[in-house]
Amino acid sequence: MASNQSHRMRRRGLKIAHFIGLFLAMSVICIPGLWIVLNSFRPTVEIMAKPPVWIPNDLNLDHYRAMFGAVGEGGVPVLTYFRNSLIISVTSTVIAILIGMAGGYAFARYRFKGKAAIFIALMVTRAVPGVALSLPLFIIYARVGLIDTHIGMIVTYVAMNVPFTIWLIDGFFRQVPRELAEAAEIDGCTRWQAFWRVEFPVARSGIASAGIFAFLTSWNEYALASQLTRSVTSKTMPVGLLDFTSEFTLNWGGMCALAVLMIIPALVLTFLVQKHLIAGLTFGGVKG
Amino acid sequence: MKLGKFPPWLALLMPAIVLLAAVVLVPLVLSFYSSFTSYKLTKPDTLYNWIGTFNYQKAAGDIYFWTAFGRTVLLLTVALNLEMVLGLGLALMVSKVTRGQRLLRTMMMFPMMFSPILVGFQFKFIFNDNVGLVNNTLQSLGLTTTAIPWLVDAHLAMFSIISAEIWTSTSVFAILILAGLYAMPQDPLEAAKVDGCTPLQSFRFVTLPFLMPFIYIAMAIRSLDVARAYDIVQIMTNGGPARRTELLWTLIGRTGYVDAKMGYANAMGYISILLAIFFTVYFFRKLTAARAELGMAL
Amino acid sequence: MAQVHLRNLIKAYGALQVVHAINLDIADGEFVVLVGPSGCGKSTTLRMIAGLEDISGGEIAIGERVVNDLPPRDRNISMVFQNYALYPHMTVRENLGFSLKIAKRPQADIDVAVNKAADILSLTPLMDRRPAALSGGQRQRVAMGRAIVRHPEVFLFDEPLSNLDAKLRTQMRVEIKKLHQRLGSTIVYVTHDQVEAMTLADRIVIMRDGHIEQVGTPIEVFDNPVNTFVATFIGSPPMNLLEGRVDQGAVVLTDGSRLPIPPRYTAAQGAAVTYGIRADNIMPVGHALPAGDHIATVDMAVTLSEPLGTETLLFAELAGTEVQAKMLNPRPVRGRETMTFQIALDKCHLFDAATGSALRRA
Ligand SMILES: Nc1ncnc2c1ncn2[C@@H]1O[C@H](COP(=O)(O)OP(=O)(O)O)[C@@H](O)[C@H]1O
Ligand SMILES: [Mg+2]
Repeated sequence: MASNQSHRMRRRGLKIAHFIGLFLAMSVICIPGLWIVLNSFRPTVEIMAKPPVWIPNDLNLDHYRAMFGAVGEGGVPVLTYFRNSLIISVTSTVIAILIGMAGGYAFARYRFKGKAAIFIALMVTRAVPGVALSLPLFIIYARVGLIDTHIGMIVTYVAMNVPFTIWLIDGFFRQVPRELAEAAEIDGCTRWQAFWRVEFPVARSGIASAGIFAFLTSWNEYALASQLTRSVTSKTMPVGLLDFTSEFTLNWGGMCALAVLMIIPALVLTFLVQKHLIAGLTFGGVKG
Repeated sequence: MKLGKFPPWLALLMPAIVLLAAVVLVPLVLSFYSSFTSYKLTKPDTLYNWIGTFNYQKAAGDIYFWTAFGRTVLLLTVALNLEMVLGLGLALMVSKVTRGQRLLRTMMMFPMMFSPILVGFQFKFIFNDNVGLVNNTLQSLGLTTTAIPWLVDAHLAMFSIISAEIWTSTSVFAILILAGLYAMPQDPLEAAKVDGCTPLQSFRFVTLPFLMPFIYIAMAIRSLDVARAYDIVQIMTNGGPARRTELLWTLIGRTGYVDAKMGYANAMGYISILLAIFFTVYFFRKLTAARAELGMAL
Repeated sequence: MAQVHLRNLIKAYGALQVVHAINLDIADGEFVVLVGPSGCGKSTTLRMIAGLEDISGGEIAIGERVVNDLPPRDRNISMVFQNYALYPHMTVRENLGFSLKIAKRPQADIDVAVNKAADILSLTPLMDRRPAALSGGQRQRVAMGRAIVRHPEVFLFDEPLSNLDAKLRTQMRVEIKKLHQRLGSTIVYVTHDQVEAMTLADRIVIMRDGHIEQVGTPIEVFDNPVNTFVATFIGSPPMNLLEGRVDQGAVVLTDGSRLPIPPRYTAAQGAAVTYGIRADNIMPVGHALPAGDHIATVDMAVTLSEPLGTETLLFAELAGTEVQAKMLNPRPVRGRETMTFQIALDKCHLFDAATGSALRRA
């Protein structure tokens, strides 16, 4: 009896500890983000107040207004940055997915010599730090006139995303039994039709999650963009963040407003596919 | 699918190979070449000024370089391990929740959506000694009256950087480990229970070995992305103050762009590339081995 | 409808040859079963007929056409896979109609064909489900339905029943047989289960290590196995094999006991031979043996008995080899009880001990 009781006590204790632990962890995860959102609505004086103002008493849209105002104080061509980011990220994601599908399919469906070596070689290209790559890439792009162009950034991001995309998509195609495509061929499909009508739809959700990763990477990338873009013609939002800094000061409120603008599309997209994301990663990585 | 006279697998891989050759391999060859010259951004002609292994010798004897190198390895080791442990803990906690798990999972992915550069600014501000969230909180709670110099003191600055790095990347581990927990068959756990294992023992001998491949994937993904830390560090401290948080990447960036010594920067870049490749290959090996152990074909 | 001809058909993976120049002629409307142990090359052969594997050598003809280089879609075949390979993103209806849709047939025709197939296989109530929501047996039927919708010249089955439980397997076996009678099309069916082969086939093709060992009707291969491999592979329990040496019209076993040479066989004096007796043909005295004029008797110690209901299987020992025998009127058996057994010599077999080939009289 006594041992039964102590067991119950212990289980209760564990439950409480579990709850507190989870609460703390989630707070740490969420507070920095929420703090950004909050600050984007607060006047700079209040953000910088000493002693701190804990309970906001003046929430307004001033930073957003200034940001979209484009001229005057704090005016940053945000919409242009947003458009650049969107064009570059979406295009590079689509291309990376197409190339990744071709490559992933090759790894998943064909046997060939040196497969493991080629695979690792492709992966390793992703491991090259952006800053180490940006120097020579800068020189080359300057020669061929790709500096400060959408094309230049798109090509760069496609290359950056292709290895990981191949890796994930390879995993998804392995999950699709070979027999499905064979059955489709017997049902009268060509190889091409069998791929698009059977294998692709079955692996679709996984491919979508690979797409999210590619998009987030392009959307958020800074090291390369900061070197390869120069002006409003191609600057992306992460680079645009620096417009809010000057030698000694930092327009924190304005920066938060742009940050919110950056996070929203990422948030929406991730929300849409979050169900597939975990499944995608499991299949893609492990079972692949 | 007849695609020219290539074998089909090669035709399918061609776009990826060509692209990566153009955007990664060619620049790497160029940077390898330029690391043997005295190339300066400001004087394009110096690209043809062959100076042999001078840059490498210089790097080998450069105390700043080796300090940055050591600090980078240390940062990666500490950060990756902490992320793994914290991610494991987080995943275990989330997996034990009975209601609202979807919401928690979504919240868990929150930091992945943040651009590293944004994380850098965010944490620079959070750790600001004057008006930062951390000091404000500590002071309001009466835990300290002084302004703690989070980004100035060498140890505290490293701590702050690691905190930021962990904040962004723990969720990658947590999500993958959670995926592993979901995929885990229940019978071995039940068998362990019947065999008299304590919860801790079943975790140690049943759950953890099963999770290993997932952990290695996370490690592999992270090692592909280690240089994300560059953005964070560049914004938070940019290696400073007085090189106290200098990492390979900040050192390279400054040498190349600010001091315009491209040749030398590329020589150091090469060493950092080798470091990254080492980490990647290492974890991919581990991953393959762990998969084989669980009977999953590569 | 069509015949299928395999001529010197070879499959090699690099240096590894897995199908060795096999020849087989399958008549129009015939139900042929390829049977053999796992890994013997049955699936590979079937997949070459389907066009899913390249042919390394030889020729395949369907009807009068050599199809070596035709892709699967041009061979007018359909195939049922071991794991069914149903399209998981399509409903049962879409699965069944997929091939016709690809062939760009009018929707009305597709509906008619699909409904008819669904009717034959009693799939009508399941038409709007996805494969994930079906039981194993139902999936199997969908896979068959998908095959019959096309009205192919040849049906190919690759172990279609091996993922079903025993009861369902028996049931589906009957359905496949009925289907064949109804459609009258040519069927090439692969299985490793000799019972399936015996019950379904017009003709059985027994394969081993990429070679065809014997081709014949189920009764032929059961009654006249060409070698010890076929003898032990076909029939359950497997044929008992006893090693011995020929001495004046009898085979002397290792312990000195003598069994007369079966009447249908001849063997040279002194030759090393293997004596084959099926369990049905060796029974304790007093149990009705199959009809035949030649009977021998032998004493054996029974080590174990396995009652199966209508009959009991006896495990006995003869010349150091385990022998399985049958008892038709079961009674309890004590451990190591010695009993006198009768052997129906007309049904026994004699093989060359070295090559395993049957020593039949010409
Ligand atoms: N792609 C391949 N590469 C090498 N060997 C193979 C390949 N596919 C099958 N084999 C080998 O060919 C032999 C026959 O296989 P299979 O036809 O599948 O046998 P089964 O009779 O069980 O259907 C096996 O030994 C198998 O290991
Ligand atoms: Mg097979």
